[in-house]
Amino acid sequence: MYAYVARRILATIPVMAVVALFVFSLLYIAPGDPAAVIAGDQATPEDVERIRQSLGLDRPYLVRFGAWLWDILRGDLGVSIFTNLPVSTMIAQRIEPTLSLMVVTLLFAVSVAVPMGVVAAWKQGTLIDRMVMAFAVLGFSVPVFVVGYLLAYVFALELDWLPVQGYTSFREGFGPWLENLVLPAIALGSVYIALIARITRATMLEVLQQDYIRTARAKGVGQRGILFLHALKNAAVPIVTVIGIGIALLIGGAVVTESVFAIPGLGRLTVDAILRRDYPVIQGVVLLFSFVYVLVNLAIDLIYTLLDPRIRY
Amino acid sequence: MDRRSFLKATAAGAAVLGGARGLAAPALAQGAAARTLRFVPQANLANFDPIWGTQYVVRNASALVWDTLYGLDDKLEPRRQMVESEEQSDGGKTWTFRLRPGLKFHDGEPVLARDVVASLSRWMVRDGMGQMIRAIQDELVAVDDRTFRWRLKQPYPKMLLALGKTNTPMAFIMPERIARTDPFQQITEYVGSGPMRFVRNEWVPGAKAVFARFDQYVPRDEPPSWLAGGKRMLVDRIEWIVMPDPATASAALQNGEVDWWETPLTDLVPSLRRNRNLVVDIADPLGNIGSFRFNHLHPPFNDVRARRAVAMALSQEDYMRAVAGDDTSLWKASASFFTPGTPLYTEAGGEILKGRRDIEGAKRLLREAGYNGQPITVLVAQDQAPLKAMGEVTDALLKSLGMTVDFVATDWGTVGQRRASKAPPGQGGWHIFHTWHAGADCTNPATQIQIRANGDGAWFGWPKDDAVEAARDRWFEATTLEQEKAAVEQMNRELFRHVTYIPTGFYLGFQAWRRNVSGVVKGPIPFFWGVAKG
Amino acid sequence: MASATVASPAAPPPPHEVAAAPPMPDIMPPVKARRGVLGFLWRYPTIAIGGALLLLMVFVAVFADFLWTVDPTALAPARRTREPSAQYWFGTDMLGRDVYSRVIYGARVSLIVGFAVALLSSAVGLLIGLVSGFVRWADGIIMRVMDGMMSIPPILLAIALMALTRGSVRNVIISITIAEIPRVSRLVRGVVLSLREQPYVEAAIAAGTRTPVIIWRHILPNTIAPITVQATYICASAMIIEAILSFIGAGTPPIIPSWGNIMAEGRALWQVKPYIVFFPAVFLSVTVLAVNLLGDGLRDALDPRMAKRI
Repeated sequence: MYAYVARRILATIPVMAVVALFVFSLLYIAPGDPAAVIAGDQATPEDVERIRQSLGLDRPYLVRFGAWLWDILRGDLGVSIFTNLPVSTMIAQRIEPTLSLMVVTLLFAVSVAVPMGVVAAWKQGTLIDRMVMAFAVLGFSVPVFVVGYLLAYVFALELDWLPVQGYTSFREGFGPWLENLVLPAIALGSVYIALIARITRATMLEVLQQDYIRTARAKGVGQRGILFLHALKNAAVPIVTVIGIGIALLIGGAVVTESVFAIPGLGRLTVDAILRRDYPVIQGVVLLFSFVYVLVNLAIDLIYTLLDPRIRY
Repeated sequence: MDRRSFLKATAAGAAVLGGARGLAAPALAQGAAARTLRFVPQANLANFDPIWGTQYVVRNASALVWDTLYGLDDKLEPRRQMVESEEQSDGGKTWTFRLRPGLKFHDGEPVLARDVVASLSRWMVRDGMGQMIRAIQDELVAVDDRTFRWRLKQPYPKMLLALGKTNTPMAFIMPERIARTDPFQQITEYVGSGPMRFVRNEWVPGAKAVFARFDQYVPRDEPPSWLAGGKRMLVDRIEWIVMPDPATASAALQNGEVDWWETPLTDLVPSLRRNRNLVVDIADPLGNIGSFRFNHLHPPFNDVRARRAVAMALSQEDYMRAVAGDDTSLWKASASFFTPGTPLYTEAGGEILKGRRDIEGAKRLLREAGYNGQPITVLVAQDQAPLKAMGEVTDALLKSLGMTVDFVATDWGTVGQRRASKAPPGQGGWHIFHTWHAGADCTNPATQIQIRANGDGAWFGWPKDDAVEAARDRWFEATTLEQEKAAVEQMNRELFRHVTYIPTGFYLGFQAWRRNVSGVVKGPIPFFWGVAKG
Repeated sequence: MASATVASPAAPPPPHEVAAAPPMPDIMPPVKARRGVLGFLWRYPTIAIGGALLLLMVFVAVFADFLWTVDPTALAPARRTREPSAQYWFGTDMLGRDVYSRVIYGARVSLIVGFAVALLSSAVGLLIGLVSGFVRWADGIIMRVMDGMMSIPPILLAIALMALTRGSVRNVIISITIAEIPRVSRLVRGVVLSLREQPYVEAAIAAGTRTPVIIWRHILPNTIAPITVQATYICASAMIIEAILSFIGAGTPPIIPSWGNIMAEGRALWQVKPYIVFFPAVFLSVTVLAVNLLGDGLRDALDPRMAKRI
């Protein structure tokens, strides 16, 4: 088992290496000259050339990749072309809102979607089941920004129950923090709920047909006990896997949700950086997001090996 | 049901939310909130070097942090700001300036003449008027701690305007160690001597910038007037909250989550006006002038007939409605390169933009100019609403003239880069891009580089026309208002004859603020001095 | 996540993005079997509903010229932001363009993007998956690259790719396709690897049958069903990503109407002129919904194994 864990951890290295090479190459071939941006308006070609040299932009591809990788391994993500601030600083400033949004969305989505899926499976074929499933398809079909605007219009502007935009730091109190995250979390959660509800229902249906469930029923275990103790426990692995893989959905959705609700997080940093072609920042956030994704899924894999004795390596 | 009663009414969650909410807003915090002004700027403060960067948003933030030697007042006259007195000698060729006593930088150090010399030296490299001065400069030296002297080879009558003007880059004064930075590299330390300090550790580019009152600032005794007079701060803290989405900004202002919005979208103004807690007013009476810029190096627009053809067909009204909306009090067709309502304004020679649009005549003229259906590369910045709108109107205009359009939808940063390319349009160059010029900068020929026509030295598009340049020189030599007017009239006529570029019209913008904010004035920059809250 | 699916036997295939849905049982209850096309449609009502809606959208896109539309790019600043009326069914936008005509013509861009991405990514993914499944030494490299690409969230990848180029329909298609390829490749590779262990394939290999023949006879027929299902979901996903790209300003230029950029244009005014966003949003959602329903139905019909497993 330790060998498996070690192998599994080592397996993330080539993946991250591919991401790094990909991200670097992507921006290496990018049009536009960072040196020209840095020099600003009214700079002469000589000024631009001088800056290009000082940034090392005139060196060959592999040399630049090596230098870049070395910097990153030391935790230096470079300096933003537009703000002249270290990329690591810019990312650090914006981690809290994004992390908060993701955690709240995750908790909200799981606590809504899993019961939904369980109930749908339990009541298979009924109106409830069909409504849950209809919602699930709908959740995939409506773009997150449409949901966001709709929510903001109804609950913030018309009813004035919740703030329409912004982010309040956790340090300023739990209430204000949560207040700002409710609407974005629902908007961002809609796709995620649809995904988890579907997978929960599907695995639950499968598990409910297993022999041990029938045995439990025969032994007189109550319906609720069967559903939430026996069945859900056994359905947990695929559900948790989907939650992990779905992190990509959350990240992609956060980019849009943060724009709609003016949350100063990594998603908006990404959009701003991409629209302004601030390459060091783009590289930094894409690397970070991929790293998080790989890490979350690694953690989920490793948790299985500890929890589920059926899994063989 | 309002927000608070909703929270009370909601069962379990409300207890948590409501409780925490109560804890988070003690009386003290409310007092601080009353002295914090939350402002939504026109754009993101992405960088913060007012000499290196020429964006208006950078200048506006800089006007809080850095002070200037002179400041333009609302009559467009340069007035003394950091300077106590100045003296001209040697037939106008030597200027001797004396600084006000008691000026301090935010790090506590006094402002000395050598700081001024270093700051002006860096500014001169990047500024149009600065470059003119630099070309005729003999020496710029600090005589003592509070005195510096400028010796020129020939008189430069517009000196005080150069030091106090509002167009970018403004001549801000920084400590010598910062001002020694290469003018083509950004500064990394933001210490000024202005009325507000920049709170650097709270700066989140793309989201927020924070300014705190500088206690040791000594304002002038005169009442404030734009960049002149006493800059008295009535709030302790100013938070700039960046909101790229106008719908979000509008909602935030209506909900009281921000206090002042610099550039509300015209179409949203009616709904803001209906809100009794809000005040909506014109932002800057000097407004903006839209610009349709040609590349003069490549066919077809290297031929004056092709440029003239576009001008014959162009409808300023179309552009202005697309940019500024249906409210006709907000814009006007203006056949002029200068700002309506200012002393030198003239429409001389602007007939080509007036009256019925002549599409057929324009097509004929295009054929004469040898246009053969080649694609016209139009750079359109999608992230700047007025430029996006102008780009789409231009697309329709060129197509109506039978031209093929290569519509390059991109961002303003990329337009900024690509417009500097002299390559043929198909190979990374361009034919047309749009921008706008603040009306405050177009009141005279000195503060606008876009009306130069000196070829390589001219602004993007590199127009070359000796008559335009001659008219401009005439203005610089002018000493009376009459002479200035005559020169500008001649200049407007020559610019339209040469079609250096096409002004697409004059438009005003709104600003909106919460009713509990007072002291907001109209001007080319949001002036925070004299603004109070509560 | 490289081996997530390997490590847990019951794990479902990784979801494709956004519209990506793991297999979903039918919404409609099972009914008696009938014969013929009608019987098929009766048995798979999601295919009937999804297919009908999608056909309607295709019809709208193809015959946009004849559906009482005007030039969708014709500016008329003098009559901007008009409310929906008998003359302007869906109102006009900020530049006075007819929103109805833009939405109708917008169907073209969205459908072209959806179909093109589905086709292209399936084709390229199939090729990569086959190579990976048959060429042992290439498999390791290819799958590491795919793992790496998959760990970049697709929307992010598509946005980043758009930053490299300028907004055009072609570039949008290429960007989304690149982001979707890894998923198809993995799917095909999985099918190939499981088929290779089938006795008849092993027998064919042992008998010295040439690889192209094996692929043609045994592998391709078996990949068609899962790829078709996957392609449907990718189509739905691509249409949503297109809208998101346009929404954040990295998509098709506004002079080419797409549902995404009509919404992006109306975005600033959604509080006061909600119809500019509303109509394209409804069209987009209905179309994506149709494609998703179709995908669910196709999965049930074409790939009973996959449907049964979950």
